[in-house]
Amino acid sequence: MNPFLTPDDPNAGVVVKKITNAYTLRAGGQTFDCILSTRLKRESDTDPVAVGDLVRWNEAGQITEVLPRRNQLSRRSAVPMPGAHAHEQVIASNLDRVVPVFAAANPRPAWHLLDRYLVSAESADIPALVVITKMDLVEGRPEAGEIRSVAGEYQACGYDVILTSAETGAGLDELRAVLSGGLSVFAGKSGVGKTSLLNAIEPGLGLRVQATNRATGKGRHTTTHLEIFEMGTGGAVLDTPGIREFGLWDVDQADLALFFPEMRPWVGKCKFGLGCGHDQEPGCEIRLAVGRGEISPYRYQSYLKLKDET
Amino acid sequence: MRTSFITRRTYTRSSGLKNTFGDFTCMHCCNFVSADAALSGVHNRNHCPYCLASRHLDLFEAGDRLSACKGAMLPVALTWKRSLKKYARPGDGELMLVHRCRDCDRLSINRIAADDDNALLMSLLRASAHLDRQVLDACAAGGIDVLGAADAQRVTRVLFGQN
Repeated sequence: MNPFLTPDDPNAGVVVKKITNAYTLRAGGQTFDCILSTRLKRESDTDPVAVGDLVRWNEAGQITEVLPRRNQLSRRSAVPMPGAHAHEQVIASNLDRVVPVFAAANPRPAWHLLDRYLVSAESADIPALVVITKMDLVEGRPEAGEIRSVAGEYQACGYDVILTSAETGAGLDELRAVLSGGLSVFAGKSGVGKTSLLNAIEPGLGLRVQATNRATGKGRHTTTHLEIFEMGTGGAVLDTPGIREFGLWDVDQADLALFFPEMRPWVGKCKFGLGCGHDQEPGCEIRLAVGRGEISPYRYQSYLKLKDET
Repeated sequence: MRTSFITRRTYTRSSGLKNTFGDFTCMHCCNFVSADAALSGVHNRNHCPYCLASRHLDLFEAGDRLSACKGAMLPVALTWKRSLKKYARPGDGELMLVHRCRDCDRLSINRIAADDDNALLMSLLRASAHLDRQVLDACAAGGIDVLGAADAQRVTRVLFGQN
């Protein structure tokens, strides 16, 4: 699907870039800058426009209407203090694929964070593709074996996992082929190599990247805005700034197990049926499946952690 | 959909799993148990000092909280932890408590805490003479030497002192 396809309306376009209150639209093969109309600003406490949105604009260069979204990837907004009111923060909309990006090293993969992305993608009904970068840093060491094994566990759950290296070029052809259709969003912590990966699969982009901090091993928040880049092979990729926290938004506790594909076959089969919380209840089929090794205990632990939050 | 193996994550272990030991209410005798090291003499308070029961929460290592079983772990026997010293005599080492999960039969050995009920520990030593063959076989398979009447004097010395 062409991510830049707009309806037969000369004043409709796709938001391809967002920097604080400035938006770049693409319509009819051209790009131009816009701001929000006063009416749209007044109607919402939060930013009503997300990258990927189909919007209408007027001659004054103002976005006047956001057209209905096909889907959206949201997170719970960070709050300034504990107990403060959190709101929905839409990262991107009208997506065909969520691509959680994690580094094999510098920084190490945080699998619990990956589970958050995957649950969010499942709840928004968007397919997910897991990408592990910087495999060259661990190749030939026991860490590479562990990463491959965990990747295998996610593949067994039904997710596609691609192990890549922007340095050696490993996995890039496979990734390029998968990304060739529709709009994909790269999401992950700062310093995992989202932009480097984008530069590697589309060499002409020349986006700014930096090495991670030597002392902390963490990223330096080099990418600071959201922008969609068109791929030469078709399709488009939305590059995002590093996301440190990813709180679930609008995920009901009762539905959470359904967003773990490997748990789905057992939902409703417990002693307490759909009322089972899969935590301490006797006769829980999901806990028994974990005990039999059919569900990863780490994924089950992520489930319990997320259940506490929702 | 089914994972045929589970990888123990060491390199990519979550840092959020530290300090999982805290105060708890015993699921067996319902007494409140403080995890304060000043009371128990151990940093990993993992069983009730009043009834010696524990809970099956860990899978690979103490505190990982990865077990989904969560069944009651009842004390079944006492054993000596094998000494790491190369020239240690057989039986040298620390007195340990053997727990067995009521739901999945898993065995684990745990350190005895300073505030554990010594009378209960001695009665456990006496009761272990009548253990099921199945439990004894499982202990033997796991390399756990179950203490019996022959060890009573030494256990008494460890629990109550020289005199």
